Amino acid sequence: MDASVSAGVAQRGLRGDHFAGAVLIAIAAFMAWENRVYPLGSLASPGPGSVPLMLALILGGLGLLIIARGAGSPLLNSIDWSESKRGLVLLIACGVATFALERIGYRLTMIALLVFIIGVVERKKVLPTALVAFGFAFLSYFLFATLLKVQLPRSPWGL
Amino acid sequence: MDGVFGNLMLGFSVALQPSVLAYAFAGCVIGTLVGMLPGLGPLAGISLLLPATFGLDPIVAIVLLAGVYYGAMYGGSTTSILMRIPGEAASVMTCIDGYAMTQRGRAGPALAIAAIGSFVAGTFSVVALMLLAPTLATFALRFGPPEYTALLTMGLLVLSYMSGGSMLKTLAMATVGLLLGMIGIDAMSGYTRFSYGQTELADGIGIVPVAVGLFGLSEILMTAGQAATPPAQRPTLRQLIPSADEMRLSIGPIVRGSFIGFLIGIIPGAAHIISSFVSYGIERRISAHPERFGQGAIEGVAGPESANNAAATGAFVPMLALGVPTGPITAVMLAAIMVHGIAPGPMLITEQPQLFWGFVASMYVGNVVLLVLNLPLVGLFVNLLRIPYSYLYPAILCFCVLGVYSVGNSVMDVWIMLVMGGIGYVLRKFQFDLAPVALGLVLSPMLELSVRQSLAMSGGSYRIFLERPIAIGMFGAAAVLILLALKPLVFKSKDWRSDVGLDE
Repeated sequence: MDASVSAGVAQRGLRGDHFAGAVLIAIAAFMAWENRVYPLGSLASPGPGSVPLMLALILGGLGLLIIARGAGSPLLNSIDWSESKRGLVLLIACGVATFALERIGYRLTMIALLVFIIGVVERKKVLPTALVAFGFAFLSYFLFATLLKVQLPRSPWGL
Repeated sequence: MDGVFGNLMLGFSVALQPSVLAYAFAGCVIGTLVGMLPGLGPLAGISLLLPATFGLDPIVAIVLLAGVYYGAMYGGSTTSILMRIPGEAASVMTCIDGYAMTQRGRAGPALAIAAIGSFVAGTFSVVALMLLAPTLATFALRFGPPEYTALLTMGLLVLSYMSGGSMLKTLAMATVGLLLGMIGIDAMSGYTRFSYGQTELADGIGIVPVAVGLFGLSEILMTAGQAATPPAQRPTLRQLIPSADEMRLSIGPIVRGSFIGFLIGIIPGAAHIISSFVSYGIERRISAHPERFGQGAIEGVAGPESANNAAATGAFVPMLALGVPTGPITAVMLAAIMVHGIAPGPMLITEQPQLFWGFVASMYVGNVVLLVLNLPLVGLFVNLLRIPYSYLYPAILCFCVLGVYSVGNSVMDVWIMLVMGGIGYVLRKFQFDLAPVALGLVLSPMLELSVRQSLAMSGGSYRIFLERPIAIGMFGAAAVLILLALKPLVFKSKDWRSDVGLDE
C-alpha cells in the first residue's frame, strides 16, 4: 500500500475533540432536561430556571463548535490511558476509605488506605509500609485534631 | 501619599507582631515545600490548609495562606531548575532554560536569579497593590449589578483568550463551572436546584472539594506509578553567585516580567501560569539572540519567574478591592476571610484596615523571608525530593481526603472531590484547562445574581448593559477579545498568542 494512502487511513477515525464535544452536548441536553422543573420566569423577573437554561444552551453551542473545529485534534484511540488502571484502583480505594471514614474513624481508615496503596498497589516491604501508614495516621491526627483543633472522626473503639 | 504611608505603618504594626510573623514564616516554608512537590500546587496546598485556619485570627489566616501562595511560586522554580520537574504549573517555562543551565553547571546562578527576580517582582507588586487596590475599591463603589455582570463576563472571556489551551474548550469549561455553581439554593427565589434530595447539596458545591479534586487528585491519578525522580544537584552557597554578565542580562527581563506579571495578575484566570508563558515569549521575541533560548539563557529564567510572582500578588488586587476572585486560589482565600464573618468587597479596605494593611505589610515581610530562606536552604529543601514518590503520593492522597473532609466535616465533600478527581483526569487527557471550571464555580452565584438583578432593574430590557458607561467599556473590551480570537479564523493568520506558547 502507498505510504500516503496508509497515512490517510491511519488518520481516519473519531477525534478526541469530536468525542469531547459530543459529551458536552449530552451534558447540556441533560441539564436543560433537568432544568424543566424550575420556573423560567419572565425577562423582567427571571426565575431560577432561566440562567441554568441559558448556560446549558451556551454549553451545547460550544460543544458543537468544538466538534466543528475538532478535525485537527488527536485521534480518540491515540490518547494514552496507560496509567488509568492504577488511577481507577486508587479512586476505588479512596471511595472505600470515604465510606469507612465516619464508621471506623480517621486513623484506622488512613492506616488501611495507606497499607493498601503502599503495600498492595506499590508492593513495598511490610516494615516501611507499616511505618508510613501508622506514622502518617497518628502524626496527622495529632497535628490536625489535637494541635489545630480540627474535628476528625473517631472509631467506636476510641481510635 | 501620607495616608498610604500611615496605613502602611499600621500594617507593619500588625505584620511584625511575633504571632503574625511566625505564621508568615510557616506559610512561606509550607508554600516552598508545596511548590516543590509534584502533585501539590499552591491551590491544593491552600485548600488543604484552609480548615486549619478556621480557629485563627482572620489576619493570621490570610497571612498564612498568602505565604503558602507565594512560597509555592518560589518553591516551584527549584525543582524546575534542578530536576526539570515543574512543582507547579507556573514553573513550566522555567524548566526550559533553568534545567539547561543546570546541565551546563550553572544551577546556582539560575536559582539565585529566580529568587532575586521573584523578590524584586514580589516587592514591586506589593507596592502596586498598595497604591492600586484602595483606588480601585473607591471606584468600585459605583458598581451596580450591570457593572458586575460586565466585569465577570469580561473576566471569563479574558481567561478564555489568555488560556494556555483552546479558547472554545476554556469557555466550555468555564460554562461547566458556572453550571456546577447552579447546584443548591437559588438566592433570589429559594428554590433548591439540582440537589436530587441530597441535603448536603442544598448549600451548593464548595470550591475546596472541586479544587482539590481537579488539581490535586487528578494530578496524582496522572502521575502515580511514574518512574523514580532523577537525582538533584545541590549547589553550595558560593556556587549561587551569578556572574556580572548574568546579572546584567537579567535586569531587563526582571523589570519587564514584574510589570507584565502584575498586569496579567489583575485579570481573572490562571494568571500566574499565563504570565510566565507571556513573559518567556516576549523575552525570546525581543532578544538579540533568540537562538540562546532553550540552551540555557538566563533571561528565560529571570522573566518567567518574576512574572509569576508578580501575577500572584496582582491577583490580590481585585480580590481585596472588589471582592471578586481572579481564580480558584484567591477564591479559597476569600472563603478563609468569609469564614470569620468578614464580607469581601469595596468596603473591606475601609472597614477592615488592619486586615488589608496588615496583609500588605506581611507580603513585604514574606518576600524577605523567602529570599533569606530559599537560597541558603535550597540543599535542605531538595532533600524532600529524595522521598520515593511511591511513598509520597499516598500521603498526599490522604492529605487530600483529610483536608477536604475537615473543611465542613462532610463526607459528601470527599465524594465530590473523588468525582472531580476522576473528571479532572479525563479532562486532562482531552487537553481541557481545569482552572476555568473552578473559577466558573466561584463566579457563578455572583454572575447569576447580577444578571437577574440587572434585568429586574430594567424591567426586562437588556439595554441596561448598554446604558451604563463602565459596563459598556467592559463589554466593549470583551467584544474586542472575541474579534481578536476570530481574526486567525477569518484571515488565516497567526495571532500573538501562538508566538508566546498559547494555543489559538
